[in-house]
Order: sequence, then C-alpha cells, then structure tokens
Amino acid sequence: MASDLLQAIDLRKSFGELQAVRGVSLQVAPGQFVAVMGRSGSGKTTLLHLLAGLEQPTAGQILFRGQDIGGFDEDKLALWRRANVGMVFQAFHLIPTLSALENVAFPLYPLKMSAAGRRERAASTLALVGLSDRADHRPSRLSGGEQQRVAIARALVNGPALILGDEPTGNLDGATGAEIMELFGRLRAETGVALLIVTHDDKVAAGADRVLRMADGRLSDEEWNCRD
Amino acid sequence: MNLRYAWTEVVGRPMRTLAAILSVALGVAVFVSLQAYAEGYREAARAPLVEVGADLTAQRQGAVPEKFEGMVFPHSVAPIHRAEIDRIQHVPGVHKVAEALFFWSFEPKGFVAGLGLDPADAFGPGRLRAAVVLGRFIQPAESHVAVADSTYAQQQGLAVGGAVSLDGQAFTIVGLVDTTRGGQLANANLYIPLADARALAVVAPQVRSVFDIQPDDANLLFIKTDQARSEEIAAQVREILGDKAIVSSGHSFAAELGALFALIDRFGLVVGILAFLFAVALLVRVVAGTLWERRREVALMRAVGWQRRNIVAQLWGETLAQALAGGLVGLVLAALVTWVMSHATVAVPVPWELSPSPHFLPGGASAVAVVVTLSARLTPALAAWALGLVAVSATLVGLWLPGRIAQVKPAEVLRGE
Repeated sequence: MASDLLQAIDLRKSFGELQAVRGVSLQVAPGQFVAVMGRSGSGKTTLLHLLAGLEQPTAGQILFRGQDIGGFDEDKLALWRRANVGMVFQAFHLIPTLSALENVAFPLYPLKMSAAGRRERAASTLALVGLSDRADHRPSRLSGGEQQRVAIARALVNGPALILGDEPTGNLDGATGAEIMELFGRLRAETGVALLIVTHDDKVAAGADRVLRMADGRLSDEEWNCRD
Repeated sequence: MNLRYAWTEVVGRPMRTLAAILSVALGVAVFVSLQAYAEGYREAARAPLVEVGADLTAQRQGAVPEKFEGMVFPHSVAPIHRAEIDRIQHVPGVHKVAEALFFWSFEPKGFVAGLGLDPADAFGPGRLRAAVVLGRFIQPAESHVAVADSTYAQQQGLAVGGAVSLDGQAFTIVGLVDTTRGGQLANANLYIPLADARALAVVAPQVRSVFDIQPDDANLLFIKTDQARSEEIAAQVREILGDKAIVSSGHSFAAELGALFALIDRFGLVVGILAFLFAVALLVRVVAGTLWERRREVALMRAVGWQRRNIVAQLWGETLAQALAGGLVGLVLAALVTWVMSHATVAVPVPWELSPSPHFLPGGASAVAVVVTLSARLTPALAAWALGLVAVSATLVGLWLPGRIAQVKPAEVLRGE
C-alpha cells in the first residue's frame, strides 16, 4: 500500500543450499509496532537484516515509503539507514571506549555538524531515555538495562521513522526487559516512530499492534492485538 | 574524522598503541641513525680537504728520480703543465685553482721537504698564514724567504731571521708555522714562494733528468669547486691529467676509511630502508590485529549509517596518529644514538702520495691520518625525511587495512551476538 512505511514483497534469502527466508511479504505502517516471533533458526534475524539493508536479498523487493531500496549500493544503503532507520541489538553493541553520551552521538560523527550541536542533540536524546545523569559513564559502568537504553537513544538520535530491534530484551532480566518495552511504547507515542522487533518473548509481542509468526523461513501466522 | 573518538581509541587500547608506536620508533631510529652515521663518516672523509679549504687536490704520478741529489720531485708529483692547469681552470664548476710545487731537497746537512706556494692564495697551502707561531708569513712578490715548520726548525736549530740553503741558494727564515694546523696534505719542512721553487726546479738536474719541466709548471693543485659537482669535476680533472692522475676528493678519502664505512656507505640506505619496511610490516600486523578486534565496531558503524569513506578516514587517522607518535619517539631515540656517536673519533688516512716523504728516512713511510670527531647529527632535513616516510607509510597502511575492514558485512559480524 502507498501509505506503508515499509513493504517487503516475496522476500527470499539463501546462503548456499540453505534457504533462510522463503518468500516473506509484510508491511509496516508509520507508527506501527510489529513483532516477528519465531524460534531460533526460523529466519527472523535474517529477515530483520534484509529489511535493514544489511543483507542483500536473493529475490524480492523492499520498498521504503514506496521506494525500492534493492538497487542501492552499500554506501547508499548506509545513508538510507542513517536517515530513516535506527537499529537496536540484543548485545547492545556500545563502543567501550566512549561515554554514554558519545555512544548516542556515534551515528552523528560522520555528519558535518558542530561538536556542540552534536552534543546537544545526543544529550536531548539521552534525556528521552532517562539517562541524562549517566551521560559521562562508560558502558562498563552501566547496567544491562541502562546500556540498552543508551543503544535505543543511539537508534533515535537521527530521528528515524523506523526502529528495527533484534531481540532487544534478550540479554535482560524480565523486569528490565519490561522497562525497555515500556520505554519503546513511550517513545513510539512521543515520536511516532514505527517499531519492528524480532523476538521469541511473548511478553514483548504482547505489546505489539501486530504479531507475525515465522517458522522455517516463512511467515506462518499473523495476529492483530486489539487496543482499547 | 572524529578526533575525540580517535583519541579515545588510541588511549583506550594502550598495549596495541604502544606496540604500534614502538614498531615505528625502532624502524625510524635504525633508519635515521644509519643515515646520520654514514653522513658523519662522509663528512669526516672530507676533513683532510676541508683543512686546506679545497674540494679537490690534483697531482700526477711520474718517474722515480735517477739519483737522490739536490732538488728532486717525489714520483707522486710529476709536473702539471700550464696548458693542463688552464684547462682545469676552465672546467665548468671550478671556482679557483691554487698551484704549488712540492719537492724534496737532499742537502749536505740533510733532507728537506719543501713546498713552493703562492702566499696570496686564500686556500690550499696559503692557509698556513693562519698557522704562524713566530715571525710572519711570506708576502706576495717576496723572493728568497721561507717559513719553516716549527718542529723541523726546533730539530734543526733554525730561528726567525736565520738562513737556510736550498739547492745552493740561501733563503731567509721570516716565520715559523705549526704545520699541523694547516692540515695533513703536502706537509713540508720549508715553505718558499712558488716563483722561487719553480726557478729552482727548472735547473735542478734530477728534475730535468726525468721530467719535461717548464718555468710555469706546478705539481700539486688545490681546487675549489661547486661542492655539489665536485665528484663530476674530479672525473674531468682525471681525464685532463691522464691515466696517472691522482685526484683526491671526499669520495677518495672515504674509500680510505675501511671496510666498515664502505659497508655502511653502500648498504646503509638499503639496510635503513629494510629496517623501516620491517617496522611498517610490524605496524601492519598491529593495525590488522586492532581492526580484527574492532570488526564488530566497524560493522556497527555500517549499521548506524557510516559510509565506507567515513570508516576509512576514521581508522586512517588513528593509524597516522600512532605512526607519527612512533616517528617522533624514533627521532628522539635516533638523536640519543647520534649524540653518543658524535663522541667517537675517526682517523682519516692520508695516502702517502698526498704528503710524501722518502721511504729510506726514519719514519718516512709512516701513515699520516687526520683525526676528527664523527660529525653524526640528526639534521632537520633527515628528520623531515623520516617523518615524511612515516606519514606516507601510515597513509598506505591506514588506507589499505581499513579499506578492507570497511568491506565487512555487518550482518555476518553482528549475527553471532
């Protein structure tokens, strides 16, 4: 649909003989929260990497705001991600030598902007995730939940329309995971960002507008969660 | 490139950074020290000529006198005729030629080594003017006057105002000179005006018997040249004087310095470059190791929207900073090594032909040498060369390895988490 933020059409990905993604089609509307659930090896992480442009599909199309990103080269895809997509990983992937604030500013480093402007934008984004008081802390001095908040702030700092999350609560205990999902929900409400999160955690999926189930490289089921 | 990020990475991995800095530092230290050492030796080799203020000396081998009676020319200083001297003066790059006539005189009272010189010359034996220890130096247009080497005068009981006989002619001693202060080339016992020496030579039977001596000949030339072209000019002078020419230059004295210098002179640059390349290889290893450790970081850069050139620029900057720091440390090490080397002395042998004395006299064939301190020093030009090499090498390494790591597929690296 023209109003879709992201649309995948018959997406396929093979690694040699292994068919990791077999003809997946899906849509994400602006501001929508979509969860993709599946067991390990079901192909959900590969699907996420395809949608993020980190992996080239073997076949199929990915449209972002109606534009096919399949023809983009690596650098154009990087610029596209910088402008439109934030990524959150299970293992946080923070730079250990940088402070929390600097980690948030990390995607801004290649941009031509003043150090003060970069710092200001990173600080305001860090405030969004409630970590202003930890701005100067290195990742090693932050808890797992705090590290993931920093990673979420890093994903938001460029003002993306879509956040792609790969098991963002996978390394966190239940309570902290719930806090992170609550944060995602709040940020979605405040910024209008769409979320597509792959997970095997039912509690994460419970907060989604749509839950897509994936097995053996295919989407096997789709549920809509009703909200009051 | 983000400087803050580069700085945190450089200081945040101290062992890797230290390894990179030490690798480059050792290569630079070896490269620079070898060049400074070789240049110090080359400068030392020029010392015998520098002492007489010339860039070249020229003479020619000739016949051995039939008898050692009266005035004779040693066989290493056969006459050089006026036409040849004029040709040499007109060789492009030759600034000036000082002429001299070296001779031995076998007197009834003993042997005398003599040198006829032009006292107006500002270089060559004319520089002895500054070595007068008693009396005065010979004045232009004076005749039948002499200055004596102070040691010789003491041995022979000569004094200023006294007279000395050369081939039957009397010369008044007007001054004593310390010959050692005038250099070790063409050292003599008595120095007389060139015109007087020529007048003695053209009638000396033992000179005439073996040489076609002319009234305006010389047998020893001191040549000032364009220094950058002195070796090229030396070759032309050799061509003018024929196959028996003896032309001394910085290179010919360097050849006297022995096998060690010959090795350093010939292979110093090659060994220095090899040491530097070895250091670059170590740098490659360290940078490759660091980038392998940081491949997830690079994958993250790609994932959050860094283009390849952003990644390469960032990692190149870090490599360049480490290499330049290593280069500076290497220069400090090289400065220490050259300082130690500059306390060594070098004896530059002066071939017998350049200051001949009869073999049959006591000590006549003893080796003469100019002893100078090794002028090994770290020049700004050498330091700039070394840092330039470091910058170029670090740029090549810093573009090549990050260029490869920037091609990492983020999905493959980040998938394992």
